[in-house]
Amino acid sequence: MHLPGTHTLVTALVSGVLLGGLLALTALGLSLVLGVMRLINLVHGELVILGAYLGYALLSGLGLDPLAGLLLVAPALALLAYPLQRILLLPLLGKGLQAPLLTTFGLSVIAQNLFVLVFHADTRSLSRSYATAPLGLAGLQVPAIYAISFAVALVVVGGVHLLVRRTGVGREIRAASEDPVAAAVLGVDVGRVYARTYALGTACAGVGGVLVGLAFSFTPTTGTAYLLTGFAVVVLGGLGSVLGTLIGGIGLGVIESVGGAFFGDGYRDFIGLVVFLGFLALRPQGVLGRAER
Amino acid sequence: MSRAEPGALITSAVPARRAARATLAGALVAAGALLALAPSFTSDYVQQVSFRVLQYAALGQAWNLLAGYGGLVSLGSAAFIGIGAYTTAELTNHGLPLIPGMLVSGVFAAGFATIVSPALFRLRGLYFTIGTLALAEALRLFMVNYNGLGGNIGIFLKSAAPTTAGLYWLALGVAAAATGLVLLVLRTRLAISLRAVRDDEDAARQMGLVSFRTKLFAFTLAAFVMGVVGGLQAGKLSQIEPYGAFGLQWTVDVVTVALIGGLGTLGGPLVGAVFTVVLAELLNAYPSLHLAITGAIVIAVVRFAPEGLWGVLARGWARLAAAGPRTQRGARRVRQ
Repeated sequence: MHLPGTHTLVTALVSGVLLGGLLALTALGLSLVLGVMRLINLVHGELVILGAYLGYALLSGLGLDPLAGLLLVAPALALLAYPLQRILLLPLLGKGLQAPLLTTFGLSVIAQNLFVLVFHADTRSLSRSYATAPLGLAGLQVPAIYAISFAVALVVVGGVHLLVRRTGVGREIRAASEDPVAAAVLGVDVGRVYARTYALGTACAGVGGVLVGLAFSFTPTTGTAYLLTGFAVVVLGGLGSVLGTLIGGIGLGVIESVGGAFFGDGYRDFIGLVVFLGFLALRPQGVLGRAER
Repeated sequence: MSRAEPGALITSAVPARRAARATLAGALVAAGALLALAPSFTSDYVQQVSFRVLQYAALGQAWNLLAGYGGLVSLGSAAFIGIGAYTTAELTNHGLPLIPGMLVSGVFAAGFATIVSPALFRLRGLYFTIGTLALAEALRLFMVNYNGLGGNIGIFLKSAAPTTAGLYWLALGVAAAATGLVLLVLRTRLAISLRAVRDDEDAARQMGLVSFRTKLFAFTLAAFVMGVVGGLQAGKLSQIEPYGAFGLQWTVDVVTVALIGGLGTLGGPLVGAVFTVVLAELLNAYPSLHLAITGAIVIAVVRFAPEGLWGVLARGWARLAAAGPRTQRGARRVRQ
């Protein structure tokens, strides 16, 4: 451990906040699915990485810029997730919490290995000159992609928040999340709401994945890391809260970034996990109280 | 039910059951002798494959005790296996023989389980699952970055690995001991407490069960077995590194073995280990395809056969037995 200078620390703080947007984006789908469907979606990380691979395929195949590709990746993932939920997860409704958890576990194993079969095990990234260019922010230098992904995160999180709070679809989602049985009695098709939620969450994961691909490199097994940071964000930000995801993401980004400045970059993820575990252990009532209802 | 002559049926059922038990014991002894003598008439390849089957059988038993009987779905197996592998590597490098090294590995893994249990057991159900996954990944990241135990290069083992037959016998002993241990636990009061905590933790507490102690017992016992298996793995290799020893693949494999075999059954992990390893051997030219197929099998088992292969086999056997002689059918009726 070494004490970083003020300038390093402030840079770490700012890039942590900006990176937090990206973390929030990769966690939003997990949070929605966990909050509404009470489902621990173990395949979430692979859905994020699928977004990155699709962005990669669009870039290398069609020459489409990944940021424009977002408009294709998000609906493509939603179209994949909707039938996935209807065929594999819906029949397990009412069979306890373990069965759907283990089904997503199986999906995650399948997805990782399909990635290897289709895209090979090589490390890949979506290399764009604008992504790596340093951005001057009041005398501080941060990678431009951090700022871009923060902006995208604001738009997506805000959009999902409005969708859940202000539309008819969102009202059904909130009702099913509050009390699925009562919602069903009042005529809400809970199965359809769950499928829509799953599709929406997966689309968000895909958007996050494309930005992950622009900011960092990825391999078929990178998804696990985003599954775990996703859980950390959900726990820090509060379960089931869309705006909380953004706050949790920024919190985790700052913790990891500043921790990395103190202990070395290799320890970033480790510090994030330790804070997450500590939070889980010390404040379970905040998380559990709502989850177990 | 036969109201008229229950006594007649019971008297005819007891010797039949006793005979069945003697047959079973005889078959077990014969199978044990056959397995113990296997290296004298099988190839190196068969012994190597059997080593993996036995390793996974032991791990599957440990995980099944947690998840199948206790409802504690842990995704942290890799942590305990990794601790076991590192402990054995360090101890044998300091001159301790392999078998005591493996036992100490188990104790270390169980010790680690005890230390983290107060925090982990505050998490219920699904959150316990996330907590164990995060814990194992945190430990792996720490071992990759921490320089004290060889960092990301790991530890080279100085002592020579046992022969293939030696490793096979060790694995056979570990798998038999793990199965025996679970069998023993199932015959105690703790098994009932464990199932009660699994089915309804709050109700079990109100009935006066100390759920923490019950869970701790299962968790440390499973960690002990996993630590021993990790030590066994170290005995086989010439180098231990964090990516392999603490790798998520262990966790995934253990869950797969126990699930496919059958949760909450004693024979499940054994059947699951044979099935999983043999499938891996059949498809060893296509490792990714094999794992993808395994994932699909897991999904199918969860949906269509939650009792696993063991349950499917047991049902088939029961149907065969029902078609058998009359006395057996009578015995079945009395038991109902």
